[in-house]
Amino acid sequence: MQTSFIQKHLNILDYALSSLLRRKLKNGGIALIFSLVIFLLASFQFLTQSLETTAEKVLVFAPDITLQRLSAGRQVSLPDSSIGSLAGIFGIRQIIPRVWGYHFDEKNGANYTILGLPADSIQKAEVSLSHGRLPQKKKPGEVVISSSVRASLELGERKSFTLFRSDLSQASFTVVGIFTDNTDILTGDTILMNLQDARDLFRLGDGMVTDLAVSVTNPAETDTIAAKISGIMPDTRILTNSQIRKTYRTVFGWRSGFGSVCLLTALASFVILAWDKASGLSQEEKREIAILKFLGFQINDILALRFWESIAVACVSFLLGLTLAYIHVAFFEGSLFTPILLGWSVLRPSLNLDPAVTFADLLLVFSYSVLPYLAATIIPAWRSAVIRAETII
Amino acid sequence: MNIELENVCKIYNQGKANEVKALDAVSLSVEPQTMVCLRGASGSGKSTLLSIIGCVFPPTSGKASVAGKQISRLPARFLGLYRRQVIGFIFQKFNVLPELSVLDNITLPLLPLGISPAARRLRAEPLLDKLSISHRRNFPAGEISGGELQRVAIARALINDPPFLLADEPTAHLDSKLSLEFMEIVSDLKASGKTIVIASHDPLVTDHRNVDSVIDIHDGCIAH
Repeated sequence: MQTSFIQKHLNILDYALSSLLRRKLKNGGIALIFSLVIFLLASFQFLTQSLETTAEKVLVFAPDITLQRLSAGRQVSLPDSSIGSLAGIFGIRQIIPRVWGYHFDEKNGANYTILGLPADSIQKAEVSLSHGRLPQKKKPGEVVISSSVRASLELGERKSFTLFRSDLSQASFTVVGIFTDNTDILTGDTILMNLQDARDLFRLGDGMVTDLAVSVTNPAETDTIAAKISGIMPDTRILTNSQIRKTYRTVFGWRSGFGSVCLLTALASFVILAWDKASGLSQEEKREIAILKFLGFQINDILALRFWESIAVACVSFLLGLTLAYIHVAFFEGSLFTPILLGWSVLRPSLNLDPAVTFADLLLVFSYSVLPYLAATIIPAWRSAVIRAETII
Repeated sequence: MNIELENVCKIYNQGKANEVKALDAVSLSVEPQTMVCLRGASGSGKSTLLSIIGCVFPPTSGKASVAGKQISRLPARFLGLYRRQVIGFIFQKFNVLPELSVLDNITLPLLPLGISPAARRLRAEPLLDKLSISHRRNFPAGEISGGELQRVAIARALINDPPFLLADEPTAHLDSKLSLEFMEIVSDLKASGKTIVIASHDPLVTDHRNVDSVIDIHDGCIAH
């Protein structure tokens, strides 16, 4: 009995597949559109997840607390002598003065992040290089860049390049090292150099920095130490690592949510199309169902037939859409959605994302695509299943 | 294994403005292993009568039994299941699926019975041979001749080995040679123990030597 039941459904599945192939133009079109919708949804989900994962990874290297001085609500430079006023706070392991700013290179149309650190701190920093070395003390103009910046600067085999200062004079630099690609999201547009070189490029006064990077001995005390700093330096903005992490999540989450809403609208349109297709049977299809019913197919057999047809279309589309989405994110850096998720304001060199796909992502994409499609096709299938057998006499 | 109808009426769209009384107090009996012809003009009610005998729908009133089972009050679902067991039906327009192969068309009624593809082939082979269409087994049904289509329809009607074979205007789309061929085939089936009921007004059918009785139907009534 059970064998017969399974065999019956295998027979119906086989018939459903042959039926799909017989109408390959119509069903192929549906599958193609559905794959595209799933591709868009999955790309967005995978890309958001990849960006979050990559951001989480690189934030491990970020300072526990970042201090910036504010004047009239805007960030201004601060003297590195401010470090002295924080010396008394217990729990601070290290304070590194930094120059961190953006430099727009008109020639290449790219925006670079300039990071200037004291030479000692650079040597101690946990920076991974694919090759070369870090800038050394008393060797002005030495920089470390990413392979993306190297490509953007069109350096080729050359090691030297120049950037314009604000007074249009030129500052020369020599590339001594290249960042590894796995931290591309943060270092992709970064040029790391000695503090003094960065001051010189941005024309900051001697001893001035843009922020102070504070490392704490016990990360659990970060908020307490941040509060103490705030008491001593009330004119500063204090950013903790967890706040930055939260901001990243919020920004990606908000943008991803916005994008998802747009894509869900596309999905809704497709579901309406699928509903319309499933409920509006052609004369030929009605005749076929009437013949099947006359030959012994019951209502539940016709519903099973429709179910297997929809499952087949949905599975093929789901797998195709997911595969394309993975390729899009892994090999093409999610180029369709990167501007939405990263913003358009900054011209970013290429990213090297680790494609992060979790079971939850797959379940989410499945729930938002396959389930509505099945509902949209199986519910109207009832109308076809109740076609009367005698209509063919 | 006979067919008994007693005062059978069939009214379409009952109680509506377009109500039609297709059958009016029809009583008849068909003995097992006979060939009966229902004769009448278009619209006389012979297809309706054939549909009631064929368990396609129940009569509006009256008693109908097929192979000893009262079908008059059977719900549609059970009527369909019963039809699957005891009736083989040949349609006027054959009603085969043109994109499916001849073999797939013939074995179509076996799909919901949970019969494996190999077993379906085994059942179909003797019918393909008997009806001389085995060389066409893998051809799409839409690409074979009218006579061959008729044989496919007969094979499909016989695939469940039903005791009753019903045919509605089976020769309407065939020339006289093919019509006679059809009658020879059903005569053989009758000889092998099947009960045959044919609705037709084609003299090649009604006057055939193997037809045991002809029942004339006129305006939904049996003409005496």
